[in-house]
Amino acid sequence: MLFNTWGLALSIISLCALFLIATASRTAIRVLRFWDPNSDSSTQIELESEIWLSSTLVMYGLGFQIISLLLFVLAADHFSGMIIGAMCATGSFLANSYGIPVLLIKIAGVFIYGIWIILHQLDIQSEHYPLIKIKYWYLVAILPYLLLEIILQTRYLAELSPEIITSCCAVFFGGKEQLGQNLLGTYSTTGLMAGFYSVAAVLCGLCLYQLSAKKLSAPINIGAGLTWILFFILSLVVITVVVSSYIYAMPYHHCPFCILKAEYHGLGYPIFLTLFLAVFSGISHIIAGFCNNLPGLAAPVRKLQTLSARCALAMLCIFVLLSSYHFWAYILFT
Amino acid sequence: MQTSFIQKHLNILDYALSSLLRRKLKNGGIALIFSLVIFLLASFQFLTQSLETTAEKVLVFAPDITLQRLSAGRQVSLPDSSIGSLAGIFGIRQIIPRVWGYHFDEKNGANYTILGLPADSIQKAEVSLSHGRLPQKKKPGEVVISSSVRASLELGERKSFTLFRSDLSQASFTVVGIFTDNTDILTGDTILMNLQDARDLFRLGDGMVTDLAVSVTNPAETDTIAAKISGIMPDTRILTNSQIRKTYRTVFGWRSGFGSVCLLTALASFVILAWDKASGLSQEEKREIAILKFLGFQINDILALRFWESIAVACVSFLLGLTLAYIHVAFFEGSLFTPILLGWSVLRPSLNLDPAVTFADLLLVFSYSVLPYLAATIIPAWRSAVIRAETII
Repeated sequence: MLFNTWGLALSIISLCALFLIATASRTAIRVLRFWDPNSDSSTQIELESEIWLSSTLVMYGLGFQIISLLLFVLAADHFSGMIIGAMCATGSFLANSYGIPVLLIKIAGVFIYGIWIILHQLDIQSEHYPLIKIKYWYLVAILPYLLLEIILQTRYLAELSPEIITSCCAVFFGGKEQLGQNLLGTYSTTGLMAGFYSVAAVLCGLCLYQLSAKKLSAPINIGAGLTWILFFILSLVVITVVVSSYIYAMPYHHCPFCILKAEYHGLGYPIFLTLFLAVFSGISHIIAGFCNNLPGLAAPVRKLQTLSARCALAMLCIFVLLSSYHFWAYILFT
Repeated sequence: MQTSFIQKHLNILDYALSSLLRRKLKNGGIALIFSLVIFLLASFQFLTQSLETTAEKVLVFAPDITLQRLSAGRQVSLPDSSIGSLAGIFGIRQIIPRVWGYHFDEKNGANYTILGLPADSIQKAEVSLSHGRLPQKKKPGEVVISSSVRASLELGERKSFTLFRSDLSQASFTVVGIFTDNTDILTGDTILMNLQDARDLFRLGDGMVTDLAVSVTNPAETDTIAAKISGIMPDTRILTNSQIRKTYRTVFGWRSGFGSVCLLTALASFVILAWDKASGLSQEEKREIAILKFLGFQINDILALRFWESIAVACVSFLLGLTLAYIHVAFFEGSLFTPILLGWSVLRPSLNLDPAVTFADLLLVFSYSVLPYLAATIIPAWRSAVIRAETII
């Protein structure tokens, strides 16, 4: 499928992103080698203007990454029309061993690029540039990550062949133990939903606490960060295993991708958008918390934290409402 | 804070638009060429999409399972008595023996598809005719043709025509009905007749057919029934409807991908042009940036200005290119690219394409046209933003 239009588009976006990040990394290496805030040499002046280029490049990189993730899911859905046994994107992702890893790398990529931008935004608000070395080491590390993504994506597309027989998200005939799950195993619905609402409630409380309290201690910060990551993973599992089949009104259809389709009014877009924004805002708050004591960053960090806590709280509530609607509508009214 | 951020960018967008309008010729040229590139890429995508949809629509009429006998890797005819050996399989609703093949007309170089069915199956078939009726049982030589076959045979108002058998003797036929144009992609080159007439035309022995069309009661069981048939008749090739659909999508996808690869050269040339145009700043443009910097614009403001300029050019070109591509596919049958996607047969079906543009298609075209353009304009934009104002004025 490498020379299918979708495969080509994915490859072109990846090459564009590689061009952007490689150019930004060139600046990063120069900054790491020659940055000297006390100097007024021409190299230092050039570097001070080049950091604008690198930040713009990474911002475009983030935009490209989000589009690439969306396109990857839509492409997999399109490929399902050519692969035997595939009925939707899940079947295409499972058609070889690279599909799911590429998807996970792309999802993580959105956060990785986003966190860099948060660091950069904080950094440029202080005249001391206190985060400059950290953020450019970070940027240099993004390049091999992107290369890994491109290699895996190319292998996925190259090995995806219409002759491959795959299985999809709805398995109609199977043992009693496997009630239709394929992408993920079976879980107890009650346990999952209880866990999901508990973690969501903890995070709501955390956001309210963050909005009222001035500062969190480092262990609470780390704990909060881990809780956000746990919530992200748990939400993806809940959407796949429980919520999706209530949206489709089909007990054996467990798929996190078909909810993006027009048949289901594209409900997946607001669900995933709010989830990503909530988790990203939550993590941004934590990351900003670690920068609080750096020179010149106290005020910008406070501003960012207030904004991110509000955004995380709002997005979290909308996400929980959107994702729970069909589940509770079925339980209460049928 | 958010309001002032939005207000700032609205102001920059306002300035970017006025700045673009001041250099109409340069920016208009870029937008025009970009629209052309998007038109080519989008036409391919829309055309592929429409053909896939059309193929899906007409494959509704195709049998669930088609059985063909193979000998030495080639398809050969099989006796219609093989139907009896499949009688024991539950879930088969009906088996129709068919004779079909191609007939080359030396007079005009056209290849007709001859389809022979038992008369009672023809009567039951869901064939839509624009006028006339279907061939009847005890009336040999009756056929249904499409309007393009009628034009190709130059029949005019006449009803009768003849075709050469393989031994050059002539078989005569009478037109009793004309297919509707809606299924032209399938029936455009078809001549439908009774089974016996088709056997006679192709000189097939009595009781021989080219394939068996099996319809099943429950479509979900198609693959299981196909596997059972394969066990009973191991020398046959078994094609299921879903396999044919997937093959169509694969073929269209591959051909469209191949076409897109060729068009990538156009895209690459355009990206180089965009880079070059964005890099080559005139003295006047440099003065403008210097003045903006004196007025208090920072590097990131000028980068934002350039970003909005690129977005404006890209949006105008994207909309123009898409509109032209839609018109090309919907009203001109995608005539520039149809030969690449459909083949070069003399009797090409006249298509009535209705490109159903989805969000996914738009995102796809956007990804491989607008994103490379945006990527190409960042570095020139930054170079223009870091101009030292005092060296210009």
